[in-house]
Amino acid sequence: MKIVVLYGTETGNAEMLAEDVAAEIGGAHDVSCRNLSDHAPGEFEPDALYLLITSTYGDGELPASAQPFAARMAAERPDLKGIHFAIFGLGDSEYHETFNGGGKTLAALMIAHGAAQIGERVAHDASGPDLAEDLAFPWAEEAIALAEGRLGEAA
Amino acid sequence: MGAAVSGAVAIVGAGPSGCFLAQALLKARPDLCVDLYDRLPVPYGLVRYGVAADHQGTKAIIRQFERLFERQGARFFGDVEIGRDIGLDALRARYDAVALTAGLSEDRRLGVPGEDLPGVMGSGAVTRFLNDHPDAAEPGPLGRRVAVVGAGNVAIDIVRLLAKGPEELEGSDLSARAAGWIAAGGVEEITLLARGPASSAKFDAVMVKELGRLAGLRIEAEAEGEGPAAEALRAVAGRGAGPKRLVFRFGAVPAAIEGEGRVAALRLASGEVIGCDAVVTAIGFEAGDNLGRDALRAGAEDAGRGRLAPGLYAAGWFRRGPRGTIPENRAEAQEVAAQLLADLGPGRAAPPPPPGAVDYEGWRRIDAAERAAAPSGRCRAKIGDRGAMRALAAGEEVSP
Ligand SMILES: Cc1cc2nc3c(=O)[nH]c(=O)nc-3n(C[C@H](O)[C@H](O)[C@H](O)COP(=O)(O)OP(=O)(O)OC[C@H]3O[C@@H](n4cnc5c(N)ncnc54)[C@H](O)[C@@H]3O)c2cc1C
Ligand SMILES: Cc1cc2nc3c(=O)[nH]c(=O)nc-3n(C[C@H](O)[C@H](O)[C@H](O)COP(=O)(O)O)c2cc1C
Repeated sequence: MKIVVLYGTETGNAEMLAEDVAAEIGGAHDVSCRNLSDHAPGEFEPDALYLLITSTYGDGELPASAQPFAARMAAERPDLKGIHFAIFGLGDSEYHETFNGGGKTLAALMIAHGAAQIGERVAHDASGPDLAEDLAFPWAEEAIALAEGRLGEAA
Repeated sequence: MGAAVSGAVAIVGAGPSGCFLAQALLKARPDLCVDLYDRLPVPYGLVRYGVAADHQGTKAIIRQFERLFERQGARFFGDVEIGRDIGLDALRARYDAVALTAGLSEDRRLGVPGEDLPGVMGSGAVTRFLNDHPDAAEPGPLGRRVAVVGAGNVAIDIVRLLAKGPEELEGSDLSARAAGWIAAGGVEEITLLARGPASSAKFDAVMVKELGRLAGLRIEAEAEGEGPAAEALRAVAGRGAGPKRLVFRFGAVPAAIEGEGRVAALRLASGEVIGCDAVVTAIGFEAGDNLGRDALRAGAEDAGRGRLAPGLYAAGWFRRGPRGTIPENRAEAQEVAAQLLADLGPGRAAPPPPPGAVDYEGWRRIDAAERAAAPSGRCRAKIGDRGAMRALAAGEEVSP
């Protein structure tokens, strides 16, 4: 399967996790990994699964590296019908009501443009007991399993 | 030595800026030798010694830095102070490039009469003590009424730690000694004094909201004007039942600290006198004379890109001044790394480790001992003594 891991980060945690996820699933699939800041909304392809990983900043907003992407989505209004993505958020429950707002925002943005979410959004808590990869590896495996047979179907 | 090394870079200061710089250098050039020196036997700078004990989530970036040493090949040389144990010129002679990321740690002074009275303490001294920094002595006693001067996140960190109840410190790494100092103070009333209006307060809204969730704190604030901090203050004002009381005062300019032999009151420029038993100033940091920063900057050829002289760079608080959060350091470190790499010609092999340095393995032993010694309700028991750190790093048994 063609899989693109896209990350939004500010202090690098999401970037490290994205690289770990790409390495973990890389043996079995055609995987690439890039920063959302380098990804244009027009580049989404229906035959790929997009694994989105983003942290949260400010008061529940997207991190710096995802901001230009969000701005371009708003400006270019791409039609993402037929695009499949799964979403993983990084955050910190110290921030209470804005916990993992970045992941929520990014998923909503994709859906608003017609993309289809695969599986549940998973949220990592920097103040919690889990290592991010312990949540993210099963999340990625599950998204891949759910995506089997669905990619390209609505294209 | 590393077989394919094609250049050696020394980084002075293993805080977040130094670590992010090393990360960016090694990501672009895995063949480089990158050595991080720190005057302390332990790495991570203010992530370990500034970020509050009850904000462990923020400290979680340490996992990235562990990766730096464990997989990216950076070397740690702790307990080596540049400018004392090794001269800066001597260091530059051993490496193709040197980057200064030594931070800024002296408390900025208020500059008012009475500032040297016992009972007046700087936020750096207080937060280092609360984080078990080996150079931090226990500050004098607090007392019932504490005035905190400053409107930044550090002021809020201090207020929060003074205001929290024991159950609210679960999962932190606040030591028994630090918790004991706070408890012995018997703090009942905290007044936070900010020079400007609430609309120009520098603390983040999330920090204020967090105060609003504390069980034992009653918050009073007359916060007028626009801005997220002012709005957050209005939202928490009047909340909570106490018994501790926190009063935000804006437009309050300290003019003098008064008292016979110890702090008794803080006098404002308006003439108003606020009775208090201790004053914590949280108005920022400065460089002191560390590494001759002023002279280096005065002669800097291209300080805008982080270049002080050929082969000499600066990043982080040491370069920019004592402002900005951890994320800003990462963005800046990536720019400075790009500049350093663009300038770097064919380089030399890794120099031998300096004698007596605590290496990463040594730090791992300290880290493991601290985690193993964590009492119930705490994630770690920091070792605050250099001698014990050195002994642990050398593999000796030490009971913390
Ligand atoms: C009390 C406090 C709380 C903070 N809380 C937060 C927070 O919650 N979130 C956030 O994002 N930011 C926070 N910050 C800001 C953050 O800590 C800084 O942005 C960041 O630490 C600056 O990194 P640095 O690497 O430039 O300096 P530092 O972290 O200060 O690192 C400098 C390192 O250099 C070493 N060093 C100094 N001199 C020498 C020498 N001569 N030779 C060798 N080594 C030397 C020091 O030992 C230290 O390890 C806080 C700051 C303070 C003061
Ligand atoms: C200044 C700052 C603000 C943050 N705000 C939030 C927030 O509102 N909600 C949240 O869930 N996490 C918040 N976080 C936590 C980060 O999302 C979390 O630490 C994450 O692991 C960072 O990932 P990154 O390094 O990829 O940016 C904040 C962190 C910082 C430093």
